[in-house]
Amino acid sequence: MRLGCDIGGTFTDFVLLDDETGEIYVYKCLTTPGDPSEAVEEGVSALRLKIPNLPAKLEEVIHGTTLVINAIIERKGAKTALLTTAGFRDVLEFGREIRYAPYDIFADFPEPLVPRQHRLEVEERVRADGSILRRMDEGEARRTVRSLGESGIESIAVCLLNSFENPVHELALQEIIQEELPGVSVSISYEVLPQIREYERTSTTVTNAYVKPLVDRYLRRLSDRLACLGFSGRLFIMLSSGGITSVETAAEFPVRIIESGPTAAVIAGEYFSRLFELPEMFCFDMGGTTAKSCLIQNGIAGIVPTFEVGRTKRFMKGSGLTIQVPVIDLMEIGAGGGSIARVSKMGTLQVGPESAGADPGPICYGRGGSLPTVTDADLLLGYLDADYFLGGTMPLNRDAAAAAIEMQIAGPLGVSALQAVWGIHDLVNETMAAAAKTHIAERGGNPRVVTISAFGGAGPVHAYGLARKLGAPRVIVPPNAGVGSALGFFTAPRAFDLVRSHKVALERADFREIEHLYRELEAEGERTLRKAGAAGPILYSRSVDARFIGQGSETLLNVPREDFSTLQTSDLRRSFDETYERLYGRTYPESPVEFVNFRVRASLPVNLLELPRMESPREALGAGESDAVKGERLAYADTDQAFIPFTVYDRYRLRPGMSCPGPAIIEERESTVVIGPDAVAAVDAYGFLWIEFNK
Amino acid sequence: MTAKFDPITLEILWRRLISIVDEADAAVSRTAFSSLLRDAHDYTCMFTDRRGRELVQGTFATPGQSGAMALGIRALVERLPGESCNEGDVFITNDPWALAGHLNDICVFSPIFFKGQLVGFTACVLHHSDIGGRVASDNHDVFEEGLFIPLVKLYERGRLNEAVLEMIRWNVRTPENVTGDIRSQIAANHVCSEQVKKMLEEHNLENLDDLSDEIIARSERSIRSAIAEVSDGLYLAEGVIEQMEGRDDVIVKAAVEVRGSEILVDLAGSSPQVDWGGNVVLNFTYAYVHMAIKSIFDPDLPNNAGSAAPLSLHAPEGTVVNCRFPAAVAARMQIGHFLTEIIYRALADVLPNRVIAGSGGTPATMTVFYGERASSGPWHSVLIRGGGMGAGSARDGAGCFIFPANGANTPVEILESDTPLMIEARELIPDSGGAGQFRGALGRREVIRYPANIENDSPVNLGIQSGRFRRAPEGLFGGKPGRCAQFLVNGIPGNPYTLTRLKPGDVVTLDAAGGGGYGQPESRDWKALEDDLEAGKVTPAGAKKHYGKEVGN
Repeated sequence: MRLGCDIGGTFTDFVLLDDETGEIYVYKCLTTPGDPSEAVEEGVSALRLKIPNLPAKLEEVIHGTTLVINAIIERKGAKTALLTTAGFRDVLEFGREIRYAPYDIFADFPEPLVPRQHRLEVEERVRADGSILRRMDEGEARRTVRSLGESGIESIAVCLLNSFENPVHELALQEIIQEELPGVSVSISYEVLPQIREYERTSTTVTNAYVKPLVDRYLRRLSDRLACLGFSGRLFIMLSSGGITSVETAAEFPVRIIESGPTAAVIAGEYFSRLFELPEMFCFDMGGTTAKSCLIQNGIAGIVPTFEVGRTKRFMKGSGLTIQVPVIDLMEIGAGGGSIARVSKMGTLQVGPESAGADPGPICYGRGGSLPTVTDADLLLGYLDADYFLGGTMPLNRDAAAAAIEMQIAGPLGVSALQAVWGIHDLVNETMAAAAKTHIAERGGNPRVVTISAFGGAGPVHAYGLARKLGAPRVIVPPNAGVGSALGFFTAPRAFDLVRSHKVALERADFREIEHLYRELEAEGERTLRKAGAAGPILYSRSVDARFIGQGSETLLNVPREDFSTLQTSDLRRSFDETYERLYGRTYPESPVEFVNFRVRASLPVNLLELPRMESPREALGAGESDAVKGERLAYADTDQAFIPFTVYDRYRLRPGMSCPGPAIIEERESTVVIGPDAVAAVDAYGFLWIEFNK
Repeated sequence: MTAKFDPITLEILWRRLISIVDEADAAVSRTAFSSLLRDAHDYTCMFTDRRGRELVQGTFATPGQSGAMALGIRALVERLPGESCNEGDVFITNDPWALAGHLNDICVFSPIFFKGQLVGFTACVLHHSDIGGRVASDNHDVFEEGLFIPLVKLYERGRLNEAVLEMIRWNVRTPENVTGDIRSQIAANHVCSEQVKKMLEEHNLENLDDLSDEIIARSERSIRSAIAEVSDGLYLAEGVIEQMEGRDDVIVKAAVEVRGSEILVDLAGSSPQVDWGGNVVLNFTYAYVHMAIKSIFDPDLPNNAGSAAPLSLHAPEGTVVNCRFPAAVAARMQIGHFLTEIIYRALADVLPNRVIAGSGGTPATMTVFYGERASSGPWHSVLIRGGGMGAGSARDGAGCFIFPANGANTPVEILESDTPLMIEARELIPDSGGAGQFRGALGRREVIRYPANIENDSPVNLGIQSGRFRRAPEGLFGGKPGRCAQFLVNGIPGNPYTLTRLKPGDVVTLDAAGGGGYGQPESRDWKALEDDLEAGKVTPAGAKKHYGKEVGN
């Protein structure tokens, strides 16, 4: 048995999988921010009521969490210091010096995680080729480290110039810190991210140091608590890159688990796209505040080398802290059920990115929200049932929502109430579609062929509209959106991504040296996986970031897993040109190419998951679609530009082989699926809904 | 299609247009070659309606280019008779008077045809890393500054005119980069026109005309209503901008009149054009006046013909702010960037909470190093950098930035692996921020060595465009000026206005100026000063000198 557990900001979700029977059990409770492992104990205890002797039966607990990212955003990390090469202590503060909002002279920038007085310099210098210009003065370094001990520093980041080419001074400093200040946590850039570009590397190393003591404490408590409950299996953590890793590795490199929360849905999407052989899938997870999406091509989600945490201005690129670690290529935009609608200065409608969140939430929640939101519009359009929200546990107030939209939107815009309500729903779809098109196109995909896989509370409500705007042919909705995404915990590989920069022109590269570098990365990958208890053969995949010499960004190139020194320059060059042309439309064979970053992914084969099949209708008492029909309700159909009757189905009574022609609404506890008149939903053997547009 | 748009449909279409131009923008950044582009985002994508009125612009546009382009493209479109455009045509020019004021900004633009009709134009202006010529501020006319590409067709009905590309290739130092970057501009325009056509198709529109009328009218109304809130009046300011040693300072006079919802800016009385590269063409002057107006009144408003409508600008021809051909213009930011702070100063009394003091990143500093390596041949590197931002009425200067232009630094590690140069320091300069109730941001020191070794056997050339060496960024309302910029070669002041030859072993120090302070230094919050002392941003000596506070050690 395996337990997946997602510790979010508000809720902690559990999903328990019995690998032998394929049975799945779920549980949800409030997160306990003081000590998040308390909620884990609550969940395990609750599940134990259904499965006696549960903790002892568990082989694995896999978990993801947003706690790390929240600690950074709320600035609740450790008192951290930074050691840099002399002359460069302000690199962290300069950043890349872009004003992200060029016309806003009062735009805020994030404060560095380490204030200037705790950024100290060390006399040393490594050249760009890794040779040493100036040896580190150990005595002086030791005195500097000691002075940090006196100022009560809990964690130290070390980032020296060009250390990815030669880490000798960083390693020496690490040793000095361990000797001089035992008990103080240390993070060196060579281990966290040996990658060129000093600001990005420093920022990443500092962030790692900032959350390291906290994550270490948290993981220790969690392990202890699980052990007390009788759990003797392995505990894994989801990485932002979609693999899972050991507690030890997560504690060493907490910066790698920052995005672990939203990653599970994408990994589930990867699994579905392989299971159903869907070559292009658009994983679409729409919650209360944001929509997170990701393009999955041939069963694989993209991984990007960098992202930003804690953007100070809405969702503006450049306003957050830069973190450079492999992370699933998620696109996050401020479009969710709680996104607020209002009239802009320009006299047009705006939806988001501000959100009413869960508290006070949409007006219809009746918890004090006074600004109209997407959920209010969805209710008024008839998509949500006022009496069956969250399974009927939370009645919704239609009248308050209607009055507010009339007064705050329709009136000022001079449009009808219906235009306003539909406008809110349609505009948020348009916002998501516009972002999705760019995201898909930039990755060489085609929005007109993607299958949308809908997750999250609001995802299934909006997926049909999004698909229409993209021209996508179909939408799939896994049974129980919450569990659907948590399945990702069980399909994620045990994997670790490694990178090291070594900038060298293809024509002049020493291929034996590169082979050596790859082997070192692979050995490191193996150590990391073995530490996590991996037995059996490890798979390695190699890639390299290459670019035309002088070009600003790199293109990722897969490299065959043969001895690099046996590869031909011309083959590598051809592979680069082919990749470049596929992504950007043309290539320039006359321009020389260089390698920048070498990458290795070490992974174990996935323990395959057998999805539970549902009983087919004939075996199950000969039930038909009509048994699943709860009734009929008027809802808005854009195709007819009118409210028309939609058939309402109970998802829990749908069986494989059944089909629900639109207009239809399929309800389950945590979400509602909307199907317009021009589409039909079919139920497959696993209980997935397949929504296809009529030809 | 005759019906106007309801406000909801309008918003949906407007968003679509913005996402189209952002997609084009992303295409440039992914395919561009020169480091300047990708790091500094020194390019701007936009498109217009068929009359050349700007409709949308990339979200990350550079203010100088964006304002200048809005005027420039419209004028170019007016110059092109309708029958001279065909489907598949691509125009190219770098005429400084037509566009963004110097030869390095090459504009590539194309007509958009839909169902056989001209519906608009898409354009991309990009700052190229090299355009030939002598790279220095002290050229006497534009002919010395490099290749001048008049408005010509690079593609005619989809067919490339190889001769144009060949002409460019043989006149620049980095032909691969320049032609590669031109290709990304073409690709961006292609993305843009394809997506515009798709949108017209999907929404059943014949052309962009009605949409364009609506967008422009609404934007204009928005900024006008913000201007109308300010009391009418005539507000004056004068900027004094240094020139190279031995020449008189340049004066820029600004009379800013707020009349109802209009802003009239008259620069009459400004100095005549100069015999070096600091001359500013009218478009570029307009761009930074517009930057000031927009940042004060409506910073979040998307850029289009409407957001610029309430501003009228008068600058007499033959002055340094509206120079005549063939004036030298390569260093136009050395004067042009000052226009924003001069407008701020004029409006400071009436809008004290909407402006900031002088900034060390005005003007942006550009340094060009080029030379030859024994083993690998010629190399070339352009770096841009800013200085400390000026303080405002509620906060200290925001940090070290280029202002009012924009751009990113080049990582030390990239620079060192791309060139023979070594950076010995990149750090804040304590006490360089102008004192005040709110302190100007600190300036930055950068120390660059051309190391002596076997590889480096020939001298390196260094061209600089900068300022603030003698005249510091001023404070506002009693705030003190920031510290001046400094250029040293081996510790001795060099001449930043001419080409410097560096021998192996030479060390260059470039100190960027600090920002001006805001309000009396005596009013500074004691805690804020203590924090500055703790962070080493102000030294005890500085606290005594600038704030009159004795601090123990």
